Amino acid sequence: MGFGPMMSALMRNKTGPALVALQIAVTLAIVINSLFIILQRVEKMNRDPGIDVNNVIITYVRGFGDDFDVVNSITNDIDLIKSIPGVVAATVSNHVPLSGSGSGTGLRTVPDETIESVGTGRYQWSEEGLDALGIELTRGRNFYPEEVYYELPETVMDTPSVLVTQDLADSLFGDEDALGKTVYWGDMEPSTIVGIIGHMHGSWVNWDKLGHVVIHPGKPAYTTNKYIIRVEPGMRDELMPIIEQKLGESNRRRVIKSNRSLEELADRSYRRDRGMAIILSVVITLLIGLTALVIVGLSSFHVTQRRKQIGTRRALGARRMDIIKQFMLENWLITTAGAALGVVLTIGVAYWLEVSFELERLDWRLLPAGIGTLWVLSSLAVFEPARRAAAVPPAVATRSV
Amino acid sequence: MFRYNVKLALKSMRRNLILTALMIAAIAVGIGISMTTMTVYYMMNGNPIPAKSDVLFAVTMDSWSPLRPFNDDKPERAPHQVTYHDAERLLALAEGKRQTAMFESSLIVEPVNEDELPFEAGARVATADFFTMFDVPFIYGSSWDQAADAAAEPVVVLTRQLNERLFGGEDSVGERLIMQGTHFQVAGVIDSWEPTPRFYDPINGAFQEINEMFVPYSLTLSLELGSTGSDWGWKAEEITSWEQWLNSESVWVQYYVELDSPRDRDAYVAHLDAYVEEQKRLGRFERPMNNNVYDVMEWMDYHEVVANDSKVLVGLSFLFLTVCLLSTIALLLTKFVGKKSETSLRRALGASRNIIFNQQIVEVAVIGFAGGLIGLLLAGLGLRGIQYLYEAPDGLVSLDWVMVLAAIGLAILSSMIAGLYPAWRVCKIPPAAQLKTQ
Repeated sequence: MGFGPMMSALMRNKTGPALVALQIAVTLAIVINSLFIILQRVEKMNRDPGIDVNNVIITYVRGFGDDFDVVNSITNDIDLIKSIPGVVAATVSNHVPLSGSGSGTGLRTVPDETIESVGTGRYQWSEEGLDALGIELTRGRNFYPEEVYYELPETVMDTPSVLVTQDLADSLFGDEDALGKTVYWGDMEPSTIVGIIGHMHGSWVNWDKLGHVVIHPGKPAYTTNKYIIRVEPGMRDELMPIIEQKLGESNRRRVIKSNRSLEELADRSYRRDRGMAIILSVVITLLIGLTALVIVGLSSFHVTQRRKQIGTRRALGARRMDIIKQFMLENWLITTAGAALGVVLTIGVAYWLEVSFELERLDWRLLPAGIGTLWVLSSLAVFEPARRAAAVPPAVATRSV
Repeated sequence: MFRYNVKLALKSMRRNLILTALMIAAIAVGIGISMTTMTVYYMMNGNPIPAKSDVLFAVTMDSWSPLRPFNDDKPERAPHQVTYHDAERLLALAEGKRQTAMFESSLIVEPVNEDELPFEAGARVATADFFTMFDVPFIYGSSWDQAADAAAEPVVVLTRQLNERLFGGEDSVGERLIMQGTHFQVAGVIDSWEPTPRFYDPINGAFQEINEMFVPYSLTLSLELGSTGSDWGWKAEEITSWEQWLNSESVWVQYYVELDSPRDRDAYVAHLDAYVEEQKRLGRFERPMNNNVYDVMEWMDYHEVVANDSKVLVGLSFLFLTVCLLSTIALLLTKFVGKKSETSLRRALGASRNIIFNQQIVEVAVIGFAGGLIGLLLAGLGLRGIQYLYEAPDGLVSLDWVMVLAAIGLAILSSMIAGLYPAWRVCKIPPAAQLKTQ
């Protein structure tokens, strides 16, 4: 079959096909860039936090009144929590990983203030902290119970041993083995790295140093006490109200500020990313739906308009297959022209996003994938109208003249 | 004539129902999406206090480490908060028309009766000027007075919601409540007041309401009110007592002044410079002199209150609207092709090109209007969805009259622009030419 009738049809009415091509181009630009953002956010949300997120409960309590003894309260609370069947481990902590609230500090390998320090998240918890979060210590040792003391506001910090993540160890010491090495805090107090955690996330999921974590031993006894509690798999939802109830009954001079699963806290931290991914998914679904419907609508209309031409071709010996081919090929040409322009537009939009909003550079592999999908979708959209075109009987050509 | 055109338009729309429906759908979806993203952007970018945004200023002073700037990426910036004792000194100097030092805190409201439960309430710690500076509306009573600030009296201003919870919404002025073991007297109750963005504290969240009450800043010392907001430090200091913490170089207090004119603004910065000069002689403020005041909108820009995601969505949604318009043009062209014979006939019967053109434009305007209305419904749905996704407080993102009119206007305008070329094409159809072939 020749390009003849098709090209003449296209050339006779240039504006319509040009508009469709343009629409396909802009559609491609939006879909590919949105898809890229969605994939990035999904990848970010799916990072391994190195924590047993699903089986951890986080409870915040705060005592009040002059006679409130915070050390006593924490000791009793932790004992009480651990007496509940199903609880694996529990600790009081200064902050909760993945929660969005945390503490950061800078560490150095030499006690020299003029050298840039390495930023890291900082946690303080008891020897049960690792177990309470399901964090894996890959090398070295955990804290000894005798290293763990209550940290009150008036306590002068004394921290001989710390645990660090491999990520932080690499940033501090590069290729050297960090185990047993000394690090210096902001006040130049030294600490020895006694253990290395393979991987865990800190508090701020949007921070580029999320994997940098240093942990020092202690039971922070501040105004608000944050308890990290790990339970047997599957028992979390059952145990949450029990923990809240038992804590509430045990001491009336204390408010349970919040009692949530770590999963919920982590979900909240990723709220913006999830929101963006969902909004963009809705946008591209609507966009693809709309563009497909418009192509179907336009092709159907053109079929009706061109019944005579089709009839004539059929009368002159064109087979049904030829008619279907004509419409499919015509549509393919328009789609391809649109896709070609779309590639340029996509790159333009990607450049704008990269320069204005510091987004990452577009993954070029999405382009061929997008164009491929476009070909399939637009062929599907035009198939039914093309089939109807092929059904036009040859006699139509003679009848209406 | 207009009514006749509308009638013709409706008739023509009915004749090609599928194409008409597609056009309306295209415009509706385009308007729905762009209005949703625009509303969010407009809310984030809005002026929270238009009457006073150019006379209220956030104060920054560079008390940071001599070795490195507060923000490595933006070394020209001083820390966004000030130390407690610098705030104390600035309050004492009182060189603005009004001023307030402030921070977020929380207090336990203790039960008066045995059967009640204690609860924690978010508190904003500020001075009496806070309420006058920021035009806070009261339903009962008023702010505490400056004497209360000076004497560190335990007084409290409640929000409408907390007053509802504690006193059933009654006028509670003069009532007492126990917090931190201290009896506080209610000075006033404020009406709903949720400036968006929360310009007075973008640092701890520009789009969330966390305050349930207000207490005097001067209580910080005696009641040891700690900040629940962010604090930043650079200096290795031994801090084992409340006094040491208050005297530390940590920055955790926000400072706002009201100044009447640009001249006052310059004068105030000069006052800041003089203060820092004096502190430099005491060995503090070792960095180069870098004191600034930012008016409300400058302060919003400083904190990049409008999320990048929101800007990206606005950009992409307008591209989306472009697709919708391209669809509309293509559909209109197609439709007019189908109307060739009718148009020829009308032309042959004496309709001028103008009349035909107007009729086409009226038709697309009707389509645009219908699309705009449905688009508004979609935008309403979209905003509900966004509110759900981001757990935004009720009413934070909602369509107001400006946005409704903008949506309808944009729909009609853009559909008419889309209709121009097809309408022009239709006008060029010669009279009677098409009739011959029939």
